[in-house]
Amino acid sequence: MFITDLRKQFYNLITGKRILLLVHFDVDGICASKILQSLFRTDHILYTVVPIQTRTDLINAFQQHAEQVKHIVLINCGGCIDLVDLLQPSDDLVFFVADNHRPLDICNIYNAEQIRIMTKLGDEEEVPAFDDVFREDESEEESDEEGGKRPRFDEEALEKRRERRHWEQQRHKIIFDYTQFSYYGSSTATLMFDLAWKLSKDSNELLWWAIVGETEQLISEQTEPDKYLLVTATLQNHVSRLNHKAQDEQPLDCLRITFEKELQLALYRHWSLVESMRHSLYSATTLRLWTLKGEKRLHELLAEMGLPLAQCKQKYCGMDVSLRNELQSLLESKAEKYGLNNILFASFSISQGFRSKFSALDYVYATSALLENTDKEKTATDAFLDVTDSLTISKLTVLEKGIENSKQQLEAIYRQVQTFLDMNQVISAGPFLYATVIEGTPDARFFAAPHCLSLLARFTLKAHVAVSRSKKSRSLPLIITTPDVRSSESNICLVCGIPPTSEESPRNFFGKAFEQAADKTGSKAELEFFDTNIIRLSVDDRSKFFDALISLLS
Amino acid sequence: MLGEKALELIKELDRSKDGQLPTFNEDSIRMVLEEMTTLFEQNQRDVNATVAGDVRFFSGVHLRHAALERNKRCLLAYLYNRLERIKAMRWEFGSILPAEIRANICEPEVQWFSRYNKNLAAYMRSLGEGTGLDLTQDTKPPKNLYVEVRCLKDYGEFEIEEGDIVVLQKNTTHYLPMSHCQHLIRQGILEHVE
Repeated sequence: MFITDLRKQFYNLITGKRILLLVHFDVDGICASKILQSLFRTDHILYTVVPIQTRTDLINAFQQHAEQVKHIVLINCGGCIDLVDLLQPSDDLVFFVADNHRPLDICNIYNAEQIRIMTKLGDEEEVPAFDDVFREDESEEESDEEGGKRPRFDEEALEKRRERRHWEQQRHKIIFDYTQFSYYGSSTATLMFDLAWKLSKDSNELLWWAIVGETEQLISEQTEPDKYLLVTATLQNHVSRLNHKAQDEQPLDCLRITFEKELQLALYRHWSLVESMRHSLYSATTLRLWTLKGEKRLHELLAEMGLPLAQCKQKYCGMDVSLRNELQSLLESKAEKYGLNNILFASFSISQGFRSKFSALDYVYATSALLENTDKEKTATDAFLDVTDSLTISKLTVLEKGIENSKQQLEAIYRQVQTFLDMNQVISAGPFLYATVIEGTPDARFFAAPHCLSLLARFTLKAHVAVSRSKKSRSLPLIITTPDVRSSESNICLVCGIPPTSEESPRNFFGKAFEQAADKTGSKAELEFFDTNIIRLSVDDRSKFFDALISLLS
Repeated sequence: MLGEKALELIKELDRSKDGQLPTFNEDSIRMVLEEMTTLFEQNQRDVNATVAGDVRFFSGVHLRHAALERNKRCLLAYLYNRLERIKAMRWEFGSILPAEIRANICEPEVQWFSRYNKNLAAYMRSLGEGTGLDLTQDTKPPKNLYVEVRCLKDYGEFEIEEGDIVVLQKNTTHYLPMSHCQHLIRQGILEHVE
């Protein structure tokens, strides 16, 4: 069941109760949970937060914690699986689901008692009608309606059976169409901020989390740029509402959010300009920076902008102030010539007191790197808590650590992409391209994590398309596999599929395709992640699995 | 110089600021007392002479008397302030003092401390209509009745008010009543998140 009024149908219901919050491992989800937690704290609602990465985690957490609570809030997980079927909850349990994964499971949508879905569907999203997918157990009523002449018994039965078969086919088709593509809805963090705003409990800090959540969706290409612009417009309204005082009226050490144009460069405020351009997906793939020619083009661009190379190679904060101030306009003026038209985008930045400014982009990169920490001593849940900490504005040290981690991660991705291209390891299999990170690559520890892996996949695909001569590569999706060095078992690899670059919308058909291929071949595959385009697969089954995929997709 | 030792005692106590207690300086105290005895004896002699009619020593008597009074005041201040500190420690550390402080107090102070303990305990028992009330807890009003805590170790089930049970598992975050989880925080099972 969809909830229309968050305050009445969600918040007022749970006030004074104990809540179990199950939060998925992604920045948007953590931001959303932080907003919810701060609301709960103001109202003295007791809660327990449990991080969830896979389906097994969800089941375990449910079994351990659900006995004592009657209200469970799921953030960015569980919307796409039939919760009642999976968890077998007792009848008085109520699930509140805020999930940005799509498509939502139909059983969840039409369960009026136990499942309340908080996310709002976009205008273009459609859900199959109830009558098309569910049927009152036997079709007696319908035959009554046909009534009138009442044919002979066997004929009637035949008719009934035929009709039923027809209906089942229809149903199968509808459901297949509905579940074929996996994609993402609007960010959960902004949804939660909306709730906070309606409760008049919004503040700059909460707004910042909403912004970070939204930006994460843009960076990981879960949302289309047009949609992002629309959401930014609403967020900007909130920003101007909460920051309307002039600079000199406010004390200097309070939190300020500003809406401004931002360069699409990763962490450039905390890195050097050259490094940042080299490791950002957008600038690197447009200028083809991994080639000798690309390197020359970069130098040419910098020379035309009038930036001395020495300045660009040192830390950004060490650059001349005048150059720093002009950087945006300089890049903008030369952007067209170098095909960097989209280098500027609308974003937000935060500043507090005399500390340096952080943009929403910096936050996203740093937090996602923290989430997939390569430190062996840290478990996944430790990393989850680190991210929770780093989002708190007063704990900048954790964030700074995240920025360093993120730099390492981006460098590893860049090196890997270069290896792929230099060794021609991106291979066309017909209906799709694939690339494999070779076992024993030292950087593999970075890639054995969902976000980093999909970032690597997108980087590889864009880079491949940029250098590839054939036009066809633009319309081919990419599958990337990497050894899962983080898991305790050996011989397991992660497989991640992403849609082709020519595709505007981030719809992804690999979730369903993986499922079917695994079914057909009987491979040892674990479809454990909530992002269905990533699966774990036994290395021995890999070739078999790929063959099945090829026959399925061609 | 007269009264110098006594002043040193006070200074010594003053130098060691809050939260510490210097060793009970028995030597200095004995020296001050000896000085006082000498002063008293000399005064006695001179007073007797004055009573006999010899007024030459009268101003000397005044001086010594003032010194005596001053020494007495210093000694009392020394003892009193030590007791005050011990009392403060009772509220801070509870009924059992840490070993390093215990080593620094003298026997009468130990006796005083245990009597103070008894008094306080008896008083606290009498409060709250027979149930007793621990006055040393929450001496300042808490900012919030609930705290956000993080679980550092697997602990298992933990009962909070009204029989509600929370499962404390490593790396989960909870929002719980402060009074219930305080001892778990002290044990290092939970961590308070600011």
